[in-house]
Amino acid sequence: MTSTPRTLFRLDYGGKLEREIARMVASFEENKFDTEHYPQRWLAIKLLECDADILERVQAMPNGAQIIELARQGAEKIKSMLGDEVDMITADHRYGYINGVVRQTLHRPNIDRITLTDRIDDVVTHKWFGLPFFFAIMYVMFRLVIDVSAPFLDWTDAVINGPIAHLFSFLLDLVLAPAWLHSLIIDGIVAGVGGVLVFVPGLLILYFFLALLEDSGYMSRAAFVMDRFMRVVGLHGKSFIPMILGFGCAVPAVYATRTIASRRDRILTALLVPLMSCSARLPVYVVFGLAFFGSRAGTVIWAMYALGILIAMLSGMVFTRTLLKPDASSAFVLELPPYRQPSLKSVLIHMWENTREFVRKAGTVIFAASVVMWLLLNLPWGVTNQQDSYFGKVSSAISPAFAPLGFDNWETGGALVTGFIAKEIVVSTMSQIYIGGGNAQPAEPTTFSEDLIGIGQGFIEATIKSGRILLNIIPGVHLIDPQKETENTALSDALRDHFTPLSAVALLVFVLLYVPCIATLGAIKHEFGSSWAVTSAVYQTAVAWIAAFIVYQGGKLLGFG
Amino acid sequence: MSMSEPTQLHLLKPGQKATIIQIGGAIALRRRFIEMGIVKGETILVERHAPLGDPMEYFIKGYHLALRKEEAAHIKVILNGDTNG
Repeated sequence: MTSTPRTLFRLDYGGKLEREIARMVASFEENKFDTEHYPQRWLAIKLLECDADILERVQAMPNGAQIIELARQGAEKIKSMLGDEVDMITADHRYGYINGVVRQTLHRPNIDRITLTDRIDDVVTHKWFGLPFFFAIMYVMFRLVIDVSAPFLDWTDAVINGPIAHLFSFLLDLVLAPAWLHSLIIDGIVAGVGGVLVFVPGLLILYFFLALLEDSGYMSRAAFVMDRFMRVVGLHGKSFIPMILGFGCAVPAVYATRTIASRRDRILTALLVPLMSCSARLPVYVVFGLAFFGSRAGTVIWAMYALGILIAMLSGMVFTRTLLKPDASSAFVLELPPYRQPSLKSVLIHMWENTREFVRKAGTVIFAASVVMWLLLNLPWGVTNQQDSYFGKVSSAISPAFAPLGFDNWETGGALVTGFIAKEIVVSTMSQIYIGGGNAQPAEPTTFSEDLIGIGQGFIEATIKSGRILLNIIPGVHLIDPQKETENTALSDALRDHFTPLSAVALLVFVLLYVPCIATLGAIKHEFGSSWAVTSAVYQTAVAWIAAFIVYQGGKLLGFG
Repeated sequence: MSMSEPTQLHLLKPGQKATIIQIGGAIALRRRFIEMGIVKGETILVERHAPLGDPMEYFIKGYHLALRKEEAAHIKVILNGDTNG
């Protein structure tokens, strides 16, 4: 049908294989098999090589089954004659030809020189230093991400709740918007979407460092060093990259599993990623930690991260033995490329692409969720007491399920429901319910230009503060004292009325483990289909309930109640 | 250079050089080997173990490659006599 140019280069695979290829091509005609858009010779070779992808396609074509059977016989014949699989023979010929061309054209100095890459690898993949080096890198990265981003986080928060909220207010007043629309936009959308965007500075810094590691070539060394460890949990060395990303946000982490070749490994990684405590859960730990444990809050927060990792490891072992048994495709064949100096442009592109995934989530899912939440809280129309709203009714209905975990009240039930949208909302919902919608400080009216100056000043202050913290990370340098987190006293008092320290811990464990947020489930569905998203949701909620139950009831037995 | 017995790639020690004589394993794995240039007749140098003993790093066709022992076991080689790298 189509006439391909006959002058194309054609590699000779040797008499016996060539005869079999010709026989295959002839059989296409004999069996009235239409090769469609595939060149005949190419298809014949792929069939004899038993290429899985091509076999699948041909199977679906008319008369495909007969052709596959003929190819199978042909491949058997070649193997018995030449003692090797067809794909090995074709590879031999191809590489033989390539070697010939290279020999004729490329002249390489014939000395085994020790490159800089070799010397770096002698240290970073060293028998004794390799693992400590890896953990040191991770430690420094997290210190930088969490501490250095903190002032910028506060700045973003101030900008969103200050100037941006003012701007919206101003515009709404300008068009004489009714009070309900004002409330929907300011209390619902700006507060909801803003609450998520606050994490952007931290993510930018996290992705900046990950891009540096990736582009310099260290990432594949890390996979090399960690593979044996990850395998205990049934994972691949490369799985550790998405797992680390999971500490930032599970959404880009789920997409990051694309670097893993085997589908089985990808799914298992995506199921474990949400167990890494993401940055959205941190505010919940901080608020409860400070309210109940004061100066020991840091220990509680650290314990939550450790518990997440522990549960992920146990889950990996369980899944590897049940739903996701290892298959042949989970091979570890990884190039360790030479180290290169990362280019700023490429680092910035990586950084932006990953952050964009998160911003998109804020722009779509969180936006929609904020509107729905606002409606639930404000319907039926004219409701004044939140417990009588649809939201209050749903929350009251589910709260008995939490009684064995130590937090049987509708407010907590409601906060957990909203946490499904994004985990950090647990805190804002609680503060809305416990201390009322009027928790926002009455803003002094400011002019537009004052706002602009404020944004700029705030950014400079944040940069200076962040720079000082950066220097502080260097051992031995102490420019500032470790800052005391400012405690939200109104919320803390309210929480202490409703929780005991034990039930607070049970709640934190539940928040750590329960159903991944809707954006994460969306990403899992997008990548692996609905059934895996459902599996993830059900599995984690079950694990969360059991773990919180053990903490609360166990704690009571031990006399901590 | 003395002719040695065929052995498996994962049994070699760092610093040893060998010639590949046969590739085994499931089709998907074999194909992956071929893509990475692990074919008969190629010379491969064992560079080092990972800190936890597995995987191992090799040098082949001018680049560095990491393989788990489990996978390297599918590659049959003949030692090129003892060299020091």
